[in-house]
Amino acid sequence: MGFFDCNVQLGLPIEGRLAPVATPRELLLEMDRAGVERALVWHCAQLEAAPQVGNQLLSEAIAQEPRLVGCWAVMPDHDEEFPPLGTFLARMKEARVAALRAFPGRHDFLLNAVSTGELLSAMTARRIPLILSLERGADWRTIYELLGEFPDLVCILCDVGWPGQDRMVRPLLRRYPHVYVDTANYTVDGGVESLVSHCGAHRLLFGSDFPDSYFGGMMLAIQHADVPAEAKAAIAGGNLARILGEAAL
Amino acid sequence: MMGPSQLAAEFWRAGKSAACPIYDLHGHMGPKGTLFMPRAEAPEMMRTMDGCGMRLLVFSHHLALRSPDIGNAPAVEAVRRYPGRLRAYCVINPHYPQQVEADLASFAAHSDVYLGLKLHADWHGVPITDARYQPACEYADRHGLLLLVHTRGDSAYSGPQLVRQMAERYPQVRFILGHSFMYDWDAAVRVARDFSNAYLDLCGPFFYRGVLEKFVGEVGSDRLLFGTDMPWFDPHQAIGALMSADIGDDDRHNICHRNAEKLLRSIGCLPLSAPGAQGIDAPAGS
Repeated sequence: MGFFDCNVQLGLPIEGRLAPVATPRELLLEMDRAGVERALVWHCAQLEAAPQVGNQLLSEAIAQEPRLVGCWAVMPDHDEEFPPLGTFLARMKEARVAALRAFPGRHDFLLNAVSTGELLSAMTARRIPLILSLERGADWRTIYELLGEFPDLVCILCDVGWPGQDRMVRPLLRRYPHVYVDTANYTVDGGVESLVSHCGAHRLLFGSDFPDSYFGGMMLAIQHADVPAEAKAAIAGGNLARILGEAAL
Repeated sequence: MMGPSQLAAEFWRAGKSAACPIYDLHGHMGPKGTLFMPRAEAPEMMRTMDGCGMRLLVFSHHLALRSPDIGNAPAVEAVRRYPGRLRAYCVINPHYPQQVEADLASFAAHSDVYLGLKLHADWHGVPITDARYQPACEYADRHGLLLLVHTRGDSAYSGPQLVRQMAERYPQVRFILGHSFMYDWDAAVRVARDFSNAYLDLCGPFFYRGVLEKFVGEVGSDRLLFGTDMPWFDPHQAIGALMSADIGDDDRHNICHRNAEKLLRSIGCLPLSAPGAQGIDAPAGS
């Protein structure tokens, strides 16, 4: 069972947390220690400084590290904060960036057709995953409205809050075929089994929220979840590899 | 996997360790409207406990905490159904002094059920130093009981200054600081250092990388207790965090079972005494 973590952060956070990981070398050492093969990585400066700044830092950090796949952050581009869409997508490919994050509540924009429609349409057409964290700038109302407008968007919901958020998560999983949820904070006892039974193992992705949380917490929970071995393998890494492989950059 | 230790390898392989049983001193049971919990009742919780080698769960029932109409009765029923695996905290709701009086009056008659008291001042909206808690705290002090107090670093009901007052006022009480003053880890360290009758509960800290290492380094692993809030959380998640932390297996043994065993022995509750109990490893009625 190979672990491919969809929710890993690099960089020094503004508040100076207990155990940040500043460099890709440190991150890879921790991944080796835990037994994590690959990680989809974002940079905390994307959120705390500015997407352009964090994207650049991330690209430099992962450039020589094939086990680290990049996740850039986006904002609306009305005022030329970002390059034109075609250029932006080309640069993503060049930098081995396979997914995008948005922090609408923290960066003061609306994630909808009016504000971000061109980008969201392109992401939908190209099946580029959009990662939204419920702890970092996304809320349920935003997500429900976004998916109402872009029902075929590939959307990974991370850090879905303290346990028992299934009343928010499951209607989305049932309505929209390309919505996924990660295991960081999806820690309710019996939750993995229940979600696999009702929505399928293909909708759950291993995510740790490292370095704020340990890799090993949900690794052990997946390892001993009462679900078939193939479901565990899919959750551990197979699903994420498939989703990223389907993106047309 | 998870980390380089022998214990981590054992938990990775088997999900549990015969040499390292789990004593969870901070659990719950029963429904709670704000949460989806697929394993909230005792029979399903037994299944989880078996899967991770949890020998004993000490819990406060959600209905005791949140439905004064029902109170502690469901906890009593659950413990008596699984006397070898469960014990309860008698929940004190300060808004109902007659009920508190009745619960304390019948505490001794429930010696097969209760190991101590539980205060959730943040849910009940009454600071732990309020006079309405006094009868319960004095009772706990007279009998040297466990007192599990939900704490948060920024709480006006259960913050560090209030807990300090309590620890000074009731020196015979064994305080379990639920969630270790969530987010104010320095305050937790200071209180644990200043009061030998205060133990840090790791329910909450398990989620934050670096806190376990800090507590072990600055307080010592002999003052830390395993807790999960189960059925809120999967105990394997907490165990995985513990196995991942940069601490030694000796520390992990302390946290998983040795400290709890010592604490329960010190209050005369281990081995568990229960009329008809089948011993700690043999669940009844499952």
